[in-house]
Amino acid sequence: MILVAEGLRKLYGEFCALDGVSLGVAAGEFVSIIGPNGAGKSTLINILTGLTPPSAGTVRFKEREIHGLGPVRLARLGMARSFQLVHIFPDLTVLETLQAAVVARLGRGTRLFASLARDRDVQREALEVAELFRLSDKLGALARHLPQGDKKLLDVASAFALRPEIILLDEPTSGVSTADKTAVMETLVAASRRIGLQAIIQVEHDMDIVFAYSDRIIALHQGKVLADGAPSSIQADQRVIDTVIGRRARAR
Amino acid sequence: MSQHVVNVLLSGVFHASILFLVAAGLQVIFGVQKIFNLACGSFYALGAYVGVSAVGWYTAAGGPPALFIVPLALAGLAVGAVGLVVERGLLSFVYERDETFQLLLTFAVVLMMEDAIRLTWGAAPRSTAGLYLVYGQTHLLGATVPVYNLIVIAASLAIAVAIGWLLTRTTFGRIVRATADNREMAAALGVDLRRVYAKVFTLGTALGTLGGALVIPATATMSEMGIELIVEAFAVVVIGGLGSMRGAFVGALVVGILRSIAISTYPELEMLLIYLIVIAVLVLRPRGLFGGAAV
Amino acid sequence: MTGRLLVAAAAAAIAVAPLVASTYHVLLMLPFMAYAVVLLGLNLLFGYAGLVSFGHALFIGIGAYTGAFLTSHCKIRSLEVILIAAAALGALVAAPVGALCVRYVKIYFGMLTLAFGMVFHTFVLKFYRLTGGDEGTPFLRPSLLGRSLEAMPKIDYLVGPYYYYSLAVLVLATLCMWRIVHSPFGLCLKTIRDNPAKAETLGIGVTRYRFHAFVISAVYAAVGGALLGPPIGNVDPTLAYWTHSGNIVFMTLLGGFTSFFGPVVGAFVFIYLQHWVMSVVPYWRLIFGAILAAIVIFAPGGLLGLLEPRRAAVRL
Repeated sequence: MILVAEGLRKLYGEFCALDGVSLGVAAGEFVSIIGPNGAGKSTLINILTGLTPPSAGTVRFKEREIHGLGPVRLARLGMARSFQLVHIFPDLTVLETLQAAVVARLGRGTRLFASLARDRDVQREALEVAELFRLSDKLGALARHLPQGDKKLLDVASAFALRPEIILLDEPTSGVSTADKTAVMETLVAASRRIGLQAIIQVEHDMDIVFAYSDRIIALHQGKVLADGAPSSIQADQRVIDTVIGRRARAR
Repeated sequence: MSQHVVNVLLSGVFHASILFLVAAGLQVIFGVQKIFNLACGSFYALGAYVGVSAVGWYTAAGGPPALFIVPLALAGLAVGAVGLVVERGLLSFVYERDETFQLLLTFAVVLMMEDAIRLTWGAAPRSTAGLYLVYGQTHLLGATVPVYNLIVIAASLAIAVAIGWLLTRTTFGRIVRATADNREMAAALGVDLRRVYAKVFTLGTALGTLGGALVIPATATMSEMGIELIVEAFAVVVIGGLGSMRGAFVGALVVGILRSIAISTYPELEMLLIYLIVIAVLVLRPRGLFGGAAV
Repeated sequence: MTGRLLVAAAAAAIAVAPLVASTYHVLLMLPFMAYAVVLLGLNLLFGYAGLVSFGHALFIGIGAYTGAFLTSHCKIRSLEVILIAAAALGALVAAPVGALCVRYVKIYFGMLTLAFGMVFHTFVLKFYRLTGGDEGTPFLRPSLLGRSLEAMPKIDYLVGPYYYYSLAVLVLATLCMWRIVHSPFGLCLKTIRDNPAKAETLGIGVTRYRFHAFVISAVYAAVGGALLGPPIGNVDPTLAYWTHSGNIVFMTLLGGFTSFFGPVVGAFVFIYLQHWVMSVVPYWRLIFGAILAAIVIFAPGGLLGLLEPRRAAVRL
């Protein structure tokens, strides 16, 4: 088990966003978290990635409690994430964004007097990731000028550039046109194989995507885990159908 | 109580009364518009100079000395209209911008006002001469204190109460507090933000100019008074908590009295002590005594 | 390409100025060069790390007073020693101050730095037995590269050896900052400026980088401050007043904080414009205040931002 959460609760004042959520993700799994809006999905991701502390419960990443570690330490330990609302560096170019991730990964951020442009390792890795995510022809573009879909891709690409062991994606295909969604997912899967990613956790709304790619699906509803299992069992789960899926979806 | 201690305390409270007016202006502007108005000291200076001129004309026109405080205060209040000009003419253009730029714009106002004042009144100190003691002195708790000081303290208290009443009991006050709390929500509920900002900024400025006018009889105008006061006002709002009226009140008392104590014991420490307290507050409890959300 | 040519041309112009320009103009270049060094450091904090300090005059003051002290009280005249001592003291003070301040952002950072700046100002003003109070301390003529040039008339010293020494320091400082800004460290700073939350998820420790930027900028300010001293011959507390901090931020904004040379251009324009305005009318603050207001409202990218509109569209 790479990532284990036990009894997570999160209270915002009186409002209970998560009420006793437990889950475990093992190496090799592609897990999708589904649920209606307000179910607590983003809160869960924020807690799992150390951005927000839970009101109760623990999270263990690689057997280690993440409480108090914070996103910076977690990133160095091998956890990466992307954001639901696009998070980019508006005034950096695509290349610079990817370089930054690689620099952070290689621990070269303290090199004050080295030339970034001449750092071959950084260049090579950044270009590799760019190629994986089909951003090679946009390297010089400022992130703020990219179309929405590409911004999303860049956000995800920079997370991948960290060569993490686990990656948590908050709605990776939202804002991407339906035609491109499959392309994005294929890119994601191919990239994960290339960098040796051990597990992916994503929050997704598009049920076709969810059923096409997931090994396991966790359905959240009103802060609780409604169901947790293989796509086929989730498909058949009436409660999930009623609250989340709405209609029967077909797994591939 | 020893006469000396009472003197120090009363002098501190007098200074606190003036500081409160300026700080209250700062707070209401920060609370509603989230702008730290570096120019509040400059408005204070403006009020002082205008006050001196007004009293000068008044005396020259033959007005009875006993009533000099009336034209003084009125002039101080009236020149607060400058705030409206600054707000409409400059500040309103940067409301959507990063707060750094808003701060720098207020700094631009500081620069401009420093010279504008020098241009109009020259660099030599001005004062209201002997009018300070027109109301005589009185004995309070064993010390001798000019009645003028007591008038100002009373006036400042009255204004504090008035502000409290304004904010809690009038529609305008409710709108101001709502906007300070959550401006998006206020706008969504139909509040005309631009008009609120204009009124609030003018009010804040007028409080500052009034403070400057009222302090003048006790001292003299000096060309640096604006940029010097801002650091004291800044200490007041940090200690009291940004955006809080109660904070302005308590903070002013703390700074005013501490300064008075420092002046009478170790003059070198005067402002040093206050800055150190500011730093300590910013480090240990950034939101000050009564400040809002945690930083 | 044109950029590099312009920079080279400017450097050449500065180098030959003492030979062709009038003494008055050449003398003005001295504070310009000193402020250019200060601003290169300040912009690392402002333009690259996104923090506005309203107390950097503190470090200018530290540098200036270090030089004044060493020459007046310790009989040390070597400018090399002075500059190194200024840099060291600047770093020494910046470490605890910076460690404290960078934990806060935006307005609280500005307020904390302002408070620290004024603490120093009050200290040098009030402890007059040590610092000369508001009259200040003399900054005696330093020796350059081991050669004491006491015999030279002051003007010849300033427009000759001291000019080229300052220029050398500026060139070195510029090269150094260029490397820093284009290094992996510089890139990480930019990520923090643009989106601290995302930078953290990439493993970039926001506070740590801000701290380093703060200390580097303090060292630059101290070195620049030390260079300010000799032409005037005296250092006084006004160097550390909060409006001085405001003015250097103004200079940075004037030239353009989004580009590397913007602040240097800003220093140049500010100094020359100030002197020109003062020769006509003493109310330079009125005019400069209006200029600052105009920049903030219409051209936040400064002068260089006007020339490169693409870069000027920074998150404002």
